[in-house]
Amino acid sequence: MDHGELLFLLKGLQWTVVLSAVGFLFGMAAGLGIALLRTSKFQAVQRITAGYIAVFQGTPLLMQLFVVYYGLALIGLKLDAWLAVAIGFTLHASAYLGEIWRGSIEAVPKGQLEASHALSLGYVSRMKDIVLPQAFRISLPATIGFLVQLIKGTSLASIVGFTELTRAGAIISNQIFRPLLVFGIVALLYFVICWPLSLYGARLESRFVQPAH
Amino acid sequence: MKDIRWNRRQALIAGAVALAAPNLVIEKALAVTPDEIKKRGKVIIGIQGDNPPWGFVDSSGKQMGLDADIGTLYGKYLGVPVEFTPLEVANRIPALTSGRVDILFATMAMFPDRAKAVQFSKPYVANVILLIAPKSIEIKTFADMAKLKSIGVARAAAQDTQITKNAPAGVNILRFDGDAASIQALISGQVEALGGNMFYIDKLNAAKPGYWENKVEFQRIYNGACTRLGEKEMNASANAFLDEIKANGELAKIHEKWIKLPLPSFPETIDGVSFVAS
Amino acid sequence: MSYQLDFSPVWDGFPELLWGCVGTIGLALAGMLLATVIGIGGVIMRQSRFASLRYPVIAFVEVIRNTPFLVQIFFIFFALPLVGIRIDPTPTAVLALGINGGAYAIEIIRGGVQSISKGQYEAGLALGLHRSSVFRLIILKPALRAIFPSLTSQFVLLTLTTSIASAISAYELTSVAKRIESDSFRSFEVYFVVTALYLVISGLIMKLLNMFSSRYFDYPVR
Repeated sequence: MDHGELLFLLKGLQWTVVLSAVGFLFGMAAGLGIALLRTSKFQAVQRITAGYIAVFQGTPLLMQLFVVYYGLALIGLKLDAWLAVAIGFTLHASAYLGEIWRGSIEAVPKGQLEASHALSLGYVSRMKDIVLPQAFRISLPATIGFLVQLIKGTSLASIVGFTELTRAGAIISNQIFRPLLVFGIVALLYFVICWPLSLYGARLESRFVQPAH
Repeated sequence: MKDIRWNRRQALIAGAVALAAPNLVIEKALAVTPDEIKKRGKVIIGIQGDNPPWGFVDSSGKQMGLDADIGTLYGKYLGVPVEFTPLEVANRIPALTSGRVDILFATMAMFPDRAKAVQFSKPYVANVILLIAPKSIEIKTFADMAKLKSIGVARAAAQDTQITKNAPAGVNILRFDGDAASIQALISGQVEALGGNMFYIDKLNAAKPGYWENKVEFQRIYNGACTRLGEKEMNASANAFLDEIKANGELAKIHEKWIKLPLPSFPETIDGVSFVAS
Repeated sequence: MSYQLDFSPVWDGFPELLWGCVGTIGLALAGMLLATVIGIGGVIMRQSRFASLRYPVIAFVEVIRNTPFLVQIFFIFFALPLVGIRIDPTPTAVLALGINGGAYAIEIIRGGVQSISKGQYEAGLALGLHRSSVFRLIILKPALRAIFPSLTSQFVLLTLTTSIASAISAYELTSVAKRIESDSFRSFEVYFVVTALYLVISGLIMKLLNMFSSRYFDYPVR
């Protein structure tokens, strides 16, 4: 494999990173909203949000990408392929992160909530200053675990023809006919980004381990 | 703090509006004319990204190929820069009908069933869809294909339709998400033979020289540019453009460069496919 | 001209889609079985005294969990033939699913095994049971019971992952969907309905696994 081909793979890697970052950051923002809706005191809101989460957790990411990719154009949004895919990942992330953060919001000790009521803090202040910071810390290992899943998930964008790392690998492999080498390097590149994150998440998890009661 | 609750009726109305909204918005997004393209400032052309010599992306990311050169000329004809959108084989028609691209110069073979979904222009290049198999297996007729255990094709491509129609029962047909994957399947031995166009053999000879050869032909086809059904101005513009580059020799030049053959003659009509929007 | 939604090709192809569902469920169950075998085998190796058994398992788990499934299945399907290992699409899919699921299963089951206190192990030995019987009856079964919910979630994910096997033309729902799409050009309609079918399938698999759990793990625990 020569210089130019390796560069093409690295360009694909660049797109993988961009797609993951955009999906994760916007997914976090939307996921926060989902988590708050999911823990709302209105039953209807809770149920609709639970339904939204159930759809994204009960269907393949590939299908979600297809539906968003083909569906967005139908409702008039003629977006660039990569934007459509980024929106798909954002929605996917919002559901998973929403569920993770719902769990961690509910895991915040009840005493904290009671104390904030006693101090007559409103909903916004209660969430912003008391519950969310603690919930976020509790959720860190799972959140990082999901980030790794998302990065791996960007490989599916190749199936709608978007040239991220996996598709770049398929294209190069087709040009130099060395699939062992090319897919080996592609796997290595994914590993190099994901493994440190996984290790970090595992380390955080062991720090947060609750002693058995 | 106000306690906001939706009653059932309000929720139903909101839901109905949400479902109906897309239909209200669709009309605007799709209709396109050459004037609107000029006003917008660029033409978005759908093309293939991994099918040399028609449309492929080189390792620096630049769009190359016969369709790319023709597309570039079309941009010049309209007077706007071109934005190429590389598409997988199965994505070409959906990308056009959903409005993601304005026109397709994407190795679109002109078939009646496709003509029901998109509007073809006059043909601008010819192609041959055939079977590629190892030299050691003799295949002269469709029935001979029974000797093969498996045949690979690119999903939704002309070869997919042809092989599905003509392969004898008992032959396993594997469909992949693109020309590249199907070629890889042949080279790695996952399929015994491959449906493709007449240029695959060059690529295959680069991998394993002299091992495969073109076998039985399925059909000779013509490729046309595609626009959306009902968009008369786009179709007229595409036809006028193709007439121009046929007349001034540009098309012949591009054809020589990529196909390395002189320009073939094109039929005046193709059964089931109209060149002009009605 | 507006895009008119037209679901008729989907309804025409519905029988085919249902067969695709059967394919998906078959792949998923086969993959789960292989994953469980790899999971239990991997845990046994992981708990071994010998580093030469432990480290390959650790490496295996880390590599599989940090690389995409699509790349793994491409590797088995397109790259392995070059070293003489050529496997058909559907068996490749089962193998890839089993390996991928197995890596996660190793970690999940290991968590369960480690949560069983050493006292149980020692009690088993004291009762005169052979080491392997102790592992099977006293450690493994309670461990599986404890982590079964986690394993169920992972297996539902595995079921959804079968859709990626369409990239190598394995027989399952997404492949069938793609064929209907390429014949009708009705992409949104096809994938919308297929997404709903996957919801049903994942619900079914979850039910199946819960039924298995209540049958197999139905013994009283103090």
